[in-house]
Amino acid sequence: MVLFLFLKEKVNIIMESIPQLPRLGREVKRHGHVSSKNRYGWFFISFSLIILGVFMLYPIISSLYMSTMSSRGMIQRYVGLGNYFKLVKDSVFLQALKNTLIFFIIQVPIMLFLALVIASLLNDKSIKFRGVFRTGIFLPAVTSLVTYAVLFKMMFSLDGFINKTLLAMRLISQPVPWLIDPFWAKITVMIALTWRWTGYNMVFYLSGLQNIPDELYEAAEIDGANKLRQFMYITVPILKPIILFTAITSTIGTLQLFDEPTSLSSTVDTAATIGPANSLLTMSVYIYNLCFKYMPNFGYASTVAYVIVILVAILSIIQFKLVGDKR
Amino acid sequence: MKRVSCMFLVMCVLFSIFGITVMAGGNSGKITIWAWDPNFNIPVMAEAKARYQKTYPNMEIEIVEMAKADVEQKLNTVLASRTKEGLPEIVLIEDYNAQKYLQAYPGAFADLTKKINRKEFASYKNELMTLKGKIYGVPFDSGVSALFYRTDILAEAGYKPADLNNITWDQFIEIGKKVKEKTGKAMMAFDTADGGLMRIMMQSAGQWYFDQNGNPNIVKNEALKEAYATYKKLVDSGIIKRTSGWNEWAASFNKGETASVITGCWIIGTIKAEKNQAGKWAVAPTPRLNLASSVNYSNLGGSSWYVIEKSKNKAVAEDFLKTIFATDQDFYQKILVAQGAVGSYLPSQSGVAYTEADPFFGGQRVFSDLCAWMKKIPSINYGLFTYEADSAMMVVMPDYLVGKINIDTALKRAEEQLKNQINY
Repeated sequence: MVLFLFLKEKVNIIMESIPQLPRLGREVKRHGHVSSKNRYGWFFISFSLIILGVFMLYPIISSLYMSTMSSRGMIQRYVGLGNYFKLVKDSVFLQALKNTLIFFIIQVPIMLFLALVIASLLNDKSIKFRGVFRTGIFLPAVTSLVTYAVLFKMMFSLDGFINKTLLAMRLISQPVPWLIDPFWAKITVMIALTWRWTGYNMVFYLSGLQNIPDELYEAAEIDGANKLRQFMYITVPILKPIILFTAITSTIGTLQLFDEPTSLSSTVDTAATIGPANSLLTMSVYIYNLCFKYMPNFGYASTVAYVIVILVAILSIIQFKLVGDKR
Repeated sequence: MKRVSCMFLVMCVLFSIFGITVMAGGNSGKITIWAWDPNFNIPVMAEAKARYQKTYPNMEIEIVEMAKADVEQKLNTVLASRTKEGLPEIVLIEDYNAQKYLQAYPGAFADLTKKINRKEFASYKNELMTLKGKIYGVPFDSGVSALFYRTDILAEAGYKPADLNNITWDQFIEIGKKVKEKTGKAMMAFDTADGGLMRIMMQSAGQWYFDQNGNPNIVKNEALKEAYATYKKLVDSGIIKRTSGWNEWAASFNKGETASVITGCWIIGTIKAEKNQAGKWAVAPTPRLNLASSVNYSNLGGSSWYVIEKSKNKAVAEDFLKTIFATDQDFYQKILVAQGAVGSYLPSQSGVAYTEADPFFGGQRVFSDLCAWMKKIPSINYGLFTYEADSAMMVVMPDYLVGKINIDTALKRAEEQLKNQINY
């Protein structure tokens, strides 16, 4: 669903930027030979439109209908907006919402800022082995989720590598309960997310930076601007569309966060909570629990899914308004 | 003309694709089994398959192995969508989930009340798979719990096996303190976010998160309160090693960092994996709570086989389960030795493998002991919402353990959350 909304935005952007696409309706009347070409075009597109309709539109509408039912497995009963009222009183859902928003508000800005800074640093032609650094920072994005989760769990255990190093460097006096304490568990997930996705966003910024002519920087240098001012007044404004893009994709990804909470907490299918005291419970994991771990309540799970959709839509609109170009 | 033939070609391609998928579902003398754990359930089923195929060589038996979470996802999906294709004949279901599936998908499972001799299975197993007087599954492995401990470490602290027989949790903590003092080792590894021990403690007193009518029984539940408080006592006593997740927990006794482990008997496979600890282990009954209703016998986990009512070869599946799991005693000896699978089929428990002395456990007749305890496990109905209740209890646990809230507040909050969750 969120992919659909996102794609719609992208299509709109593309459509607006290519004004010479024929306005199909008008042209059919004027040019006879064009209309038969349009009919062929529509015919070939129709298959993918039908598939899109069946596999995307139908589930979207059907799940909206399902969210008005409360179910126990196969036994359903109609509750109308009852599920939405239940959400407000559901302490588990509120905790999931809080956790998801905490991840979003804290981790995304840090990660994007880090990616931007690293991209600017690595754009400097005078650094040797730039390629090695770029590859190294991007590599976490392509590692297998399960592998790195197992390694992170080992490294961040009470007597794991991280604690041993910190103790040896005398930065801490007691081992940090990374995955045992609710607060530290969230920090561990944020570290994992940042480690994994900074490189991915950095690549986008790097490609955008290639479009900035060096003359701008040289001119600024001559005018006496230091690197910080160059970064803030040249790099960031020109990269605005890309920053907007990465911000929205990161928003969507974080609001749908599922992988890291499930793999960094104990075995999902039998563990009592996701992370200590459900500190790692996000909305997508709650949907999974509602469908497969607890008494299956598919109707209520659809309701939570719709909350995610609404949240993504609101946050995306806000970001567009704040950062997007006024067209 | 070209346009027409082009469209005709496209239509042909589309129809042939549909045709192939329809033909794929065929009819054969074949049963499909869904289960998890390639080290335990799967080899057990493979052994059953080999035995059945000796009598019926034309029968095809397909064992599909998936992770436990995947089995549950697929089962829920396949039953909720009411499809008739792709149904397995036999599926493994964890005992805590039994009532949930039986009540959420009425009519999905075959009634096996009369198909096997129920008296030959442990009563607590029959009870948990009964709905409205009908019994739906074939009981499989028992999770009868026990206190597994290192005799050498306990001896170093001055304890003999008799000292650990039929103790209470308070006595266990006292012993743990001495062990820590004299040997420096933690008595037990403990994941405070895991509700396993709490379930063992509750069942030992014949209680559960829910009462007879299925209503949440948390605030007024003596056994649960005692169990919850014991968690705090264990953490405060300093005798435990805090771990997170299965791997860390198993590594703690495999590496010899802890002196004991209290859990279901299915841990024997993991304990025995550490071969250089052979001869240094022994088994004692589970500690009991300080309540009159609590006994030294309990259960953690365990699962059973169920037959899907609308599957193609239901009759064959029922015959297969009856022939091997409800009749073949030799089969149970074999899987006990090979996988450490303690079945709940009572006649098999007087067999050779069950009664011989186990050198890994210092010559103790481990399985005889476990089977004797199995018969005394209090029967309870797990109800529909075990995982929701587990979650509600453990969400407030960290705050309670550090002393931010007291036990009554914690229990009240847990009950509130649980009532909201199961609100239908």
